[in-house]
Amino acid sequence: MIRFQDFSFRYQSGKTEQPAEFALKDISMEIREGEFVGITGTSGAGKSTLTYSISGLIPHHFAGDFYGSVEVNGMDTVEVHPEQLARFVGQVFQDIDSQMVSSVVEDEILFGMENFQIPRDEIKRRLESVLEMLEITPLRRRQISSLSGGQKQKVAIASILALQPDIILLDEPTGELDPESTIMIYEILRRLNREFHKTVIVVEQKIMVLCAYVSRLIVLDKGQVMFDGSSDSITGEIELFKSLGINVPRVVELGHLLKKAGLYDGEIPTELDGAEKMVREVCADAEI
Amino acid sequence: MNLLQYLPGNSILHRLNPVAKLAAAFLLGICAIVSQSVIFTTLLIVLLLGICFACGLGKRALGLTRNLLVLGGMMFILQLFFVRSGDPMLSAGGFTLITQDGLSSAVLLGLRIIATMLPLMLLFAITEMNDLCGALVKRLHVPYRYAFIVTTAFRFVPLFTAEFHDIEDAQKARGVEYDGGLIKKLKLSVPLFVPLLMSSLKKVDSGAMSAQLRGFNLRTVSSGYREYPFTAADIGCILLSVLMIAAAAMI
Ligand SMILES: Nc1ncnc2c1ncn2[C@@H]1O[C@H](COP(=O)(O)OP(=O)(O)OP(=O)(O)O)[C@@H](O)[C@H]1O
Ligand SMILES: [Mg+2]
Repeated sequence: MIRFQDFSFRYQSGKTEQPAEFALKDISMEIREGEFVGITGTSGAGKSTLTYSISGLIPHHFAGDFYGSVEVNGMDTVEVHPEQLARFVGQVFQDIDSQMVSSVVEDEILFGMENFQIPRDEIKRRLESVLEMLEITPLRRRQISSLSGGQKQKVAIASILALQPDIILLDEPTGELDPESTIMIYEILRRLNREFHKTVIVVEQKIMVLCAYVSRLIVLDKGQVMFDGSSDSITGEIELFKSLGINVPRVVELGHLLKKAGLYDGEIPTELDGAEKMVREVCADAEI
Repeated sequence: MNLLQYLPGNSILHRLNPVAKLAAAFLLGICAIVSQSVIFTTLLIVLLLGICFACGLGKRALGLTRNLLVLGGMMFILQLFFVRSGDPMLSAGGFTLITQDGLSSAVLLGLRIIATMLPLMLLFAITEMNDLCGALVKRLHVPYRYAFIVTTAFRFVPLFTAEFHDIEDAQKARGVEYDGGLIKKLKLSVPLFVPLLMSSLKKVDSGAMSAQLRGFNLRTVSSGYREYPFTAADIGCILLSVLMIAAAAMI
């Protein structure tokens, strides 16, 4: 479980500059085991900063002013080192290329396991199992630089999964992917969440995709939590989302407009199936 | 094409122990420096090229040689005009331009440059940086941290070149003309180094974070999963290189 208590963080600024704005401000929330959480918000809202504070890179790697507390599985992130936390939290970073420490797929997955001194036969077993799970066994000896974006993303996820963390953090994993690969990555995340009971926390700009997969949505703006609820409940918050500059799914917007025009008064759908039903309903009403 | 990039393959050269490759590359470099004979140095280069062709590395080896020829050629010209001893060969208006000694030492220096650099550069074509790092740690007990830093630096080179081209493209899109003389290109490129440095530092930092979160600091000598045993071929390769030095010294 992850618990934020009155957490605020401000990156250190140069001596001559005036103090930076808080990147995160007054965050109090809990993320329980087994949740599938989506975090969204405009650029600079503090999404990456939030992921760093869960993995312990804040305050251990990034210097700054730290207020309140962040607990991961009962450990205070200020007190334990990120390496210790890494046994519980795995993070895939926003920049997919520069987080790779090896040039061959297999070596990349071995890296963490070697560091954590996992016994040889266990390493072999885990390596084969994560390769299979992400369906990248044929890529095993390939040069990472020769892979597509989606394949690289899978390798990054595999290298984290091999360490068997309870919590998996991903920072815009589909930022450079086409729609098809995006769905593929989210199907994998869903499986990790449902079958392997991992807590999955994913930062994502494409809110449409997010709503289709996550159970809980958190919206950040200027370092503050502006919305925190189930992905279905966004239908009631369209004005808020619009004011934050976040695109809501088109179907939700359509439902909202129909409702405002007094043409529809059912539940606003978040997916296409529901949208079809809504439109049929409206059309049927209009003909009478 | 990046001349330092690894070329995947499964030739005898590829399969040698990375430490043996490194040692052989250095020894052959020494061999080229020791040699005082134009013929021996030429033969050494031909031999190196022959081995490369046999191992399917011909194209890369020729590409490298072409690039080294430029460097070798520059050294040749410098040497040609700076060495003043020996019988005059070419003079203009009573002033000696080229001497016999100058010519022979210039040829030797040019060839020597090529023969020294070629094996070292080929090392990159046949060695996976990860393997080099692993073998240095396992076999030579180099501290992992240093082996990792050095090999990672080389791995980042293509990433930086790609980044540089991205920035250059961005500038071109804004209407900066890069065509023209070398000086003009250099002048226009200098301001790009600051953004390049910034983005490179950021990349290195995110690499460091990702390594840290995967237990980099917990690593010990026994951590490596792969073993890098020496085989007869490795020992043979090193012995051969030593013999070459001996031959070079005698001829
Ligand atoms: N290393 C750093 N040093 C100083 N300030 C930083 C640093 N990293 C981020 N910031 C600042 O903190 C704020 C939040 O940044 P953050 O990277 O968390 O945003 P984000 O929501 O992830 O944005 P994006 O969608 O662009 O990735 C921004 O104002 C940013 O300028
Ligand atoms: Mg970010």
